[in-house]
Amino acid sequence: MITSQIDRREALGGFAAIFGAALISPLRRAVAAGTDPGMGPQNDIFSDEQRTLLDALCERIIPTTDTPGARDAGVTRYIEMIIDEYYEPDAREGFLDDLQAIDEYSREQRQAPFADLAPEQQDDIVSLAEQRQLDGADDDFFETIKQLTVTGYYTSEIGMTVERIYLPTPGRYDGAFPYAEVGKLFTA
Amino acid sequence: MDRPPQSTEFDAIVIGSGATGGWAAKELCENGLKTLMLDRGGSVEHRQDYPTEGRGAHELPFRNRWPPGKQADYSLSPTARPENYPFYASDDEQPYVYDESKPFTWIRPGVVGGKSLVWGRQCYRWSRQDFESNRADGHGVDWPIRYDDIEPWYRHVEGIVGISGEALGLEELPDSDFQPPMPLNIVEQRFREVLARDFDDRVLTIGRVANLTLDMPEQGRVRCQFRNQCHRGCSYGAYFSTQAVTLPMARATGNLTLKGDSVVESLEYDAAQQRVTGVQVIDAHTGVRSVYRARVVFLCASCIASNQILLNSRSEAMPNGLGNTHDVLGRYIVDHVYGVRAFGTFRGQFEQFVEYGRRPNGFYIPRFRNLSERESMQDFVRGYGYQGAARRLAPESGAGFGAELKQRLRVPGPWQIYMLGFGEVLPDPGNRVLLSETAVDRFGIPQVRFDVQWGQNEARMGADIARQSVAMLRGAGATEIVSEDVLGAPGRAIHEMGGACMGDDPAQSVVNRWNQLHVAPNVFVTDGAAMSSGSCVNPTLTLMAMTARAANHAVDLVSNDAV
Repeated sequence: MITSQIDRREALGGFAAIFGAALISPLRRAVAAGTDPGMGPQNDIFSDEQRTLLDALCERIIPTTDTPGARDAGVTRYIEMIIDEYYEPDAREGFLDDLQAIDEYSREQRQAPFADLAPEQQDDIVSLAEQRQLDGADDDFFETIKQLTVTGYYTSEIGMTVERIYLPTPGRYDGAFPYAEVGKLFTA
Repeated sequence: MDRPPQSTEFDAIVIGSGATGGWAAKELCENGLKTLMLDRGGSVEHRQDYPTEGRGAHELPFRNRWPPGKQADYSLSPTARPENYPFYASDDEQPYVYDESKPFTWIRPGVVGGKSLVWGRQCYRWSRQDFESNRADGHGVDWPIRYDDIEPWYRHVEGIVGISGEALGLEELPDSDFQPPMPLNIVEQRFREVLARDFDDRVLTIGRVANLTLDMPEQGRVRCQFRNQCHRGCSYGAYFSTQAVTLPMARATGNLTLKGDSVVESLEYDAAQQRVTGVQVIDAHTGVRSVYRARVVFLCASCIASNQILLNSRSEAMPNGLGNTHDVLGRYIVDHVYGVRAFGTFRGQFEQFVEYGRRPNGFYIPRFRNLSERESMQDFVRGYGYQGAARRLAPESGAGFGAELKQRLRVPGPWQIYMLGFGEVLPDPGNRVLLSETAVDRFGIPQVRFDVQWGQNEARMGADIARQSVAMLRGAGATEIVSEDVLGAPGRAIHEMGGACMGDDPAQSVVNRWNQLHVAPNVFVTDGAAMSSGSCVNPTLTLMAMTARAANHAVDLVSNDAV
């Protein structure tokens, strides 16, 4: 058989270990968020106030429990990127209007910005949005924000590696692995 | 080191660098022929050009969604994904035409390595019956070779490709020289038991796949790590690709020159000598044309592209294309019956189990219809097999939000089996590729025009694929069984074959039993174009074996000065 150009010693002696090490340390070489296209918003879409509001809103959808929630996972930044990159101007305006509707409702009914409310009070308002009873917000606003939050959270580093189990290099396949041993999902 | 590119004279030219081109180059180079390998795509070097490999969604641009607007550039390549679309040709790089009533999906790579970088890796030997079907039922050109002609070449390539699988000793699905099989999961194992018990003509086995389960240190390749990211390129070399296997072997000889970005326009034919004397190449970046010369030429550009090159090689002697002396070139195009699939759910069963690791493979159910030794009761001829897998579905998130939602998203959905039929398409002279008389690509090369549609045999086979998959899933205790029995457009299985069919009679075929053009024996067509029928199993293993066989024949002819 023909020997390829690859050093035989490298191939025979712990090749997988040497090579695997480079592959399974993705965190070290993660692209710095926000600097490259697709790693964060390229433009400021939200005001600081809107970011604070979104942080609070997304945190109610995927809250901190025994693992970090949407706020720590940076879901607001993810949403800002999606809106910056994929939303047409009309849809972008609509999204911002819906955010404003939430805050206005909070200020009118609770005399405080949404972000400053207690979690239970925030949940009441989110429930209203879910039931499509929040004045001034689109009927699909709750589903939109839920979808964005879920996707943003479970594709974040925290969602991928803390909330779920990330196996960049599983090394083997077991088609009858007991779920009870982990109690959560492996990242797809 | 590749040879300096200024040389235009070689012993051999290989057009295309996919699975077959890579094999041709390897065999020719190892036998001492100075070989030029051309590809229209740009360079992809093993390991260094797999930028998305090993990265999770959180480490990829746009969390591994398509960048804005980008997917529209790849509408002709439905298998391209956000993490590997640069391996494919964009729409403007590969235009083609068809009548609206007869759509064809031509999925085409755009880099060196071709489809070997992104293929499905399923490897099955053809059976004896496969080589005899054309003669038996009268459809297509009778194969001039049989299983015994190709069998040594299967062994020749299998030992180097590295194929994992389970030996079954079946006549209808001959075993390869296997590495140990990947495991079935618990639901697939149960499905296998049900089929063995209740369907006496059916067997379920793990997919036979060009993914290593044992290291191959002599090739610098490491066994599969169960990442299921093969389509991004694999630095372990765990799956067979040109980059991982045949290209380094060809390069190691010192006999290879690889030129990417080289679009082959046509072959120059000398009627007096009955040979091709040059390969017309356009530089994909500069548009500059040049001619390369060699004693032998291997056409491994992919089925459709090789047909296009032959059709576009028009000379005074052969105004309708090289080898098209009897209006046979471009005809008998087949793919596989594809798109008929079924799903069955196992709610409340096996719930305590999940998958650890991501297996880049599924199960296979070999052909059981119309086997030669059994009586046919079907309303169609030939047969089909199934590929599929059992997997757990995504969590069912349901309504609401908050901690409950988060908890629900920790619980996997039920197990589901999906299964997809791959059926043999009858070779039909009416199914053909031509050159458009009006449309040209960016180099001025006439575009391919497809005139291909499936007939009644394919429709009846598709209906049986759907019926039998439902029956098997029901037998296994699945519920919520859904089947989709709409045939995909021809080309969608990405198993295009035919057009330069192999046969003994120059009036009815384009290449001879050694893949040589009848009209120009120094040209070997060894990709899917030379296939006179398509079997129902994935073609690449057979194409690689046939290429190795033809290349060694070419070497013999060159050494004996017979070509």
